[in-house]
Amino acid sequence: MLKTFDIAMKESAGYFRSPLAYVILTVALTVFNAFFFLIIDQNREAALTDVFRVMEFMFVFLIPLLTMKTLAEEKQTGTLEFLLTTPTTEGQIICGKYLGTLFFVSILVAITGIYYGILASFASPEAGMAFAGYLGIWLEAAFFIAVGIFCSGLTGSHLLAAILAYAVLFGLYFLKSFNSYLHGPAETVLRYAAVMTHSENFFVGIIAAADLAYLGSGILIFLLLSIIFLRKR
Amino acid sequence: MIRVSKLNHFYGKQRALADVDLAIGKGEIVGFLGCNGAGKTTLMRILTTFLRPASGEVFVAQMDALRRPLDVRRKIGYLPENPPLYPALTVGQYLYFAARLKDVPARKQKMQVDKVIAACSLRAVRDRLIAALSKGFKQRVGLAQAVINEPPVLILDEPTNGLDPVQILQVRDLIKQQGSERTVLLSTHILSEIEQVAPRVLIIQKGEIIADGKQSDLLARAGKKNLEELFLAAVRGEE
Repeated sequence: MLKTFDIAMKESAGYFRSPLAYVILTVALTVFNAFFFLIIDQNREAALTDVFRVMEFMFVFLIPLLTMKTLAEEKQTGTLEFLLTTPTTEGQIICGKYLGTLFFVSILVAITGIYYGILASFASPEAGMAFAGYLGIWLEAAFFIAVGIFCSGLTGSHLLAAILAYAVLFGLYFLKSFNSYLHGPAETVLRYAAVMTHSENFFVGIIAAADLAYLGSGILIFLLLSIIFLRKR
Repeated sequence: MIRVSKLNHFYGKQRALADVDLAIGKGEIVGFLGCNGAGKTTLMRILTTFLRPASGEVFVAQMDALRRPLDVRRKIGYLPENPPLYPALTVGQYLYFAARLKDVPARKQKMQVDKVIAACSLRAVRDRLIAALSKGFKQRVGLAQAVINEPPVLILDEPTNGLDPVQILQVRDLIKQQGSERTVLLSTHILSEIEQVAPRVLIIQKGEIIADGKQSDLLARAGKKNLEELFLAAVRGEE
C-alpha cells in the first residue's frame, strides 16, 4: 500500500512539473469557464447539467494526453525495468500510476466546484443534482484514466498510446449515436456499453446502481487488464 | 549465491539461452563477456526476475526466483545497460524513491541515501535534477540506486558504457569497492576492465556458456597471453 502511495506521489508530482499538464489544466479550465457562462446565460437555469456534458466531451480529448506517458515512457526510458526489479508488484505499479493521475484530474474537477458556488450565490441550485453530476463526471474521468493507462501499457510510444486511447474513448462516447440503427438485444447491449447512457443519468441528478456498476466495473476491468499485460511483458 | 540450471529462453523462434548452467558463490566477482546479442542481457534479466525463462531453474540467495520473485528482488541490486533514471527528479529524490521501493526501513532511509551518495561521490549533485547531470554522474546515480538496500548480489550490465576514461576509472573503483562486500556479476565489452576487476570470467556465445573459470586457469589452458586473445579465440571457436 505504501509503495502504491509512493508511486502515486511521484506520478502526480511529475504532472505538476510538466508543462503539458499546465497547458491541459489551462485549456480545460478556459473552455469550462467559457461554456459555464454561455450555458448559464442562454439556459437561464440554475443547473450544471450542460456544463458536465461539455466536461465529459473535453475529457475524451484531454485524458489520453495525460495518460499516454504513464507506462509508455517507463518502457521507452527503461525505468520499467527498474520498477520491476524492485520488490514492487505489477498491481502496486498500476494502482500507483492510476491514483497519481486520478489525483491530478480530481484537482481539475474540484476547481470546477466553484461553478456551484457561483450558481448558489445568485440562485438556488439543487445540491443533490449537482452532487450527482460531480460524482458522475469524476467517476467517468476515473474510467477514462483506467482506459488510458491500459493503452499506455500496450506500447512504448506515447503517440500510439494516445491514439489507442482516443480510439477506445471515442468508441465508448459515440456508441450511443448508433443506437437507432439497431434493434432488439443488439440495441440493448450497445445502449448499455455506451458511456453516455450512464453519465447522462448522473448529470440529470440520478445516482443509479447500474450506472455505478458500469463505471466501477469499467475501471476495475481496465486496471486488471493493465496488470495482466504488464505481467506478460 | 546464484545457481542456474538448464536455463532456456526464446524470443519468438530464436533461442536466446540454451541449457545454461551456472553457479556463482558468495563474494565472487564474475566478469561476463559475450558479443552483442550473445545472451548476456537476457541472462541478467532472468536473474533479476524481470524476464521469466521458457524453462530451467534459477536460485538467488537460496531462493527460487520463479516462485519467489519479490524475495529475490530484495537480494539483488541491478544496473541495466542504460541507467534507469527519472530526469525530472533530483538525485536525492530519486534515491529516496528507490530506497522506499526496495523496502529500506523508513528509519534507515536517510542513512542509506547519505551512505550511497558518499560512496558514489554524488554530494555535489545531490540536489541537482538528474536531467542536468553528465553521463558519468548518471551512471553513478544508477549504481547508487543498485546498492541502496545493501543487496548481497549486484548485477551490472555494461556499467561503463559510453563513459570517458576518467569516468571509467571512477566507476571501476566504485565496483571494486562494492565488490569487496558482495557477489558481483559484471557484463562489459571492455576486456581490460574484467582483467582488473573480476578474477573469474564467463563467456557466452549464441546463448551457451562456452568458457567459465578463473582468468589465470582459462589463459593457461588455452595458451593465451591475455583476455582479449582468449575471448577472441573462444568466440571464434578455436581450440
